[in-house]
Amino acid sequence: MRMKLAGVALAALMGIAAWSPSALADNTLVVAQEAEPVGLDLMRSSIQTTMSVSYNIHDTLFRPQGDASIRPALAKTWKQLDDRTWRVTLREDATFHDGTPVTAEAVKFSFNRIMSDALNSPNRGKLSAFDKVEVVDDRTVRISTKEPYAPGLYMLAYYLPIVPPHAVKEMGDEQYNVDPVGSGPYRLEEWKKGQEVVLKAYDDYYGPKPAYDTVTFRSIPEPEARVAALLTGEVDVISGIAYHQRERIRKSDNAHLTDQMGVMPYLGLNTYEAPFDDKRVRQAVNYAINRKLIVDALFDGEAILAEGVISPRTFGAAPDLEPYPYDPDKAKQLLKEAGHGDGLQARLAYPTYMTQIQQQAEIIQAQLAKVGIDVKLEPFERAVMWDRYKAQKHQMYIYWWDDAPEPDRYVYPLLHSESRDYYYKNPEVDKLLDKGRRTLDREARAKVYHEVDHVLYEDAPWAFLYIIPDVFGVANDVDYEGRRDGFLDMRSAKPSSN
Amino acid sequence: MARFFLRRLRHTVFVLFAISLISFFFIHLSGDPVMLMLPADASAEQIEAMRERLGFDDPLHVQYLRFLGGVLTGDLGNSLYYHVPVMELVLDRLPASLELALAAMAVALLVAIPVGVLSAVKRGSLIDFGSMLGALFGLSMPHFWLGIMMMLLFSVTLGWLPTSGRGTLAHLVMPATALGVSLMAMFARLTRSVMLEVLSLDYVRTARAKGLSEALVIGQHAFKNALIPIVTVAGMEFGFLLGGTVVIETVFGWPGLGRLVVEAIFNRDYPLVQASVLVLAMIFVLVNLAVDLIYGCLDPQIRVFDEGEMK
Repeated sequence: MRMKLAGVALAALMGIAAWSPSALADNTLVVAQEAEPVGLDLMRSSIQTTMSVSYNIHDTLFRPQGDASIRPALAKTWKQLDDRTWRVTLREDATFHDGTPVTAEAVKFSFNRIMSDALNSPNRGKLSAFDKVEVVDDRTVRISTKEPYAPGLYMLAYYLPIVPPHAVKEMGDEQYNVDPVGSGPYRLEEWKKGQEVVLKAYDDYYGPKPAYDTVTFRSIPEPEARVAALLTGEVDVISGIAYHQRERIRKSDNAHLTDQMGVMPYLGLNTYEAPFDDKRVRQAVNYAINRKLIVDALFDGEAILAEGVISPRTFGAAPDLEPYPYDPDKAKQLLKEAGHGDGLQARLAYPTYMTQIQQQAEIIQAQLAKVGIDVKLEPFERAVMWDRYKAQKHQMYIYWWDDAPEPDRYVYPLLHSESRDYYYKNPEVDKLLDKGRRTLDREARAKVYHEVDHVLYEDAPWAFLYIIPDVFGVANDVDYEGRRDGFLDMRSAKPSSN
Repeated sequence: MARFFLRRLRHTVFVLFAISLISFFFIHLSGDPVMLMLPADASAEQIEAMRERLGFDDPLHVQYLRFLGGVLTGDLGNSLYYHVPVMELVLDRLPASLELALAAMAVALLVAIPVGVLSAVKRGSLIDFGSMLGALFGLSMPHFWLGIMMMLLFSVTLGWLPTSGRGTLAHLVMPATALGVSLMAMFARLTRSVMLEVLSLDYVRTARAKGLSEALVIGQHAFKNALIPIVTVAGMEFGFLLGGTVVIETVFGWPGLGRLVVEAIFNRDYPLVQASVLVLAMIFVLVNLAVDLIYGCLDPQIRVFDEGEMK
């Protein structure tokens, strides 16, 4: 008995000793996100944490840049043939992880696959402007859109991963989702469900060889635990850092923060029904909200005040717009002119899963009360919020979008009446957004979006709020800069030189 | 014994059937997953096509019968979210849940039973007072808070244990302890009160009067009878531990079933919710069956009475 006990104790000690911070292991980078990927087929998910892992495995034709421009990736050169056709030439040395070359046929297959009913890709809509991909020769494709579409190549850079036709056909969609064969810098080594995804550098990658041989993606759902894991050196990079935890990382000797994309919450108004069918009431809401106060109180003054629909960090934001000033008197006057001198009542819906949303909603409620708008708060669980949003049941609602570098990425889906005609429709805006898609010259295009920004500022379909820059936490011995799209693409990470 | 077992098995089937029915209709009342699965700009045709493909356009009772057929053939369908068979997902997570539940239960019982017995025997002493005060602390402490505090101390400050994940024994220490502490407190109090009751019974006095040693009286005669309520509660708690540890699973990134189910509910992943609920219910029922069988070993009267009732 005593021997047995001693054995158990010894095993326990060995178990504890067997653990060591894995981030210390040589040439391995450990990344911790909020959630495990739901699959690894980049075509099948639009979830950030899932796509982050998958972007390391898959490559696209172009590499998207922070200013909404593109650089070559699988595509070596490209040429615009007319205002709706591009000829794209692939590089010769790119191969899939099974060693087969990346061909024009694969590009065509990938396009047809993502657009197919069978796959039902959540990203299909983002490529709906495209008409077809034709094979010209083994290394050349002709890509055409239905209408002239300025952000076209940029959208392909994000949403068209090139997959190997033979492998997908052989294993089927379901199997490909757990065992993908990409052409990116990392190949899948192992996926321990519920725990981690292990990626290994692909030796024959055509691009610069990634600095780390192994990248492990773990999921640590609790924010506090993620920060703790970064500070103890168990992991090297983390996402999803709440505002109040940032100071701790900044002050620590082990890690630092790097900027990535931003979260842009907005207060949508139902312009189809009274009282928000009146522009003056919508403007009054904009004057009544003290954005600066909210930003100082909740986000340490670090959020950027929104000066309109287009984030100042996005291509095409009008440089001469200023955020609506906080002016409760003006708000009251506008309400009076609109016939609401005695005040009015409204409902404000928000999804409970958004960070710090409760505080934001309460402050907004208090500020609107000061000008005579009596707001009833309606917190909703994610799916219920979404159902009611689509059923046009909201009156005022807080939702958010990322402040993507490309304006068409969010202004079109949110405010063009052919996309979501739920709460707002403005033929002038529709026309301008269509023009923005058709204008291929970059400078002329920027001017179109400046105009969009001005029209929407005046018409105020939302109360514009602020952009909360998001960050990644990075261990000091790693050199990694966050990308504006918020994906944890580890091909650029390397050991720090200091 | 065999008849007893058979009768319980019949109960089990009935319970599982009822649970499958209730969980099926409740989750279907909660909203339409198709709207969540498609992007906002999906057309009406896309939505209808998706509904049809997933079989959501059939009447509810047809969907339920299809689900029931799936249960009988062992095919509960694919997750709407992960696109893999749901049983695969559930069975992937089950070992982690069992491991954590067993470890937490072991931590709790190994400490609680000796403490409870000692408190009862030394009733009114400083030991009794101290351990019951400790138990009160354990009960009142929210376990997620305890978990985070442990993490700050043992991982961040001392660097002894990993903050999260599963793999080695070191990974198990903090979640099992955090989870075990409140159970420990509950069991210590339970053991104490049951022991106090048993110790005041006539047969214990008789045993003492026969001149048996105090250790034998407490260990053999009193404790064995006190075990029955403890085993009952342990069985129930074990069931809860399997599916109800979402908070601790979240804090320590433990890949258990609880988190899987909660995420599935948020995502309206019907097949996954149904499969997990069914598996959890089955385990719960089986554990309780095991508890009943253990009763029989602890106290033959229960067994005899049960069989007698059947005739």
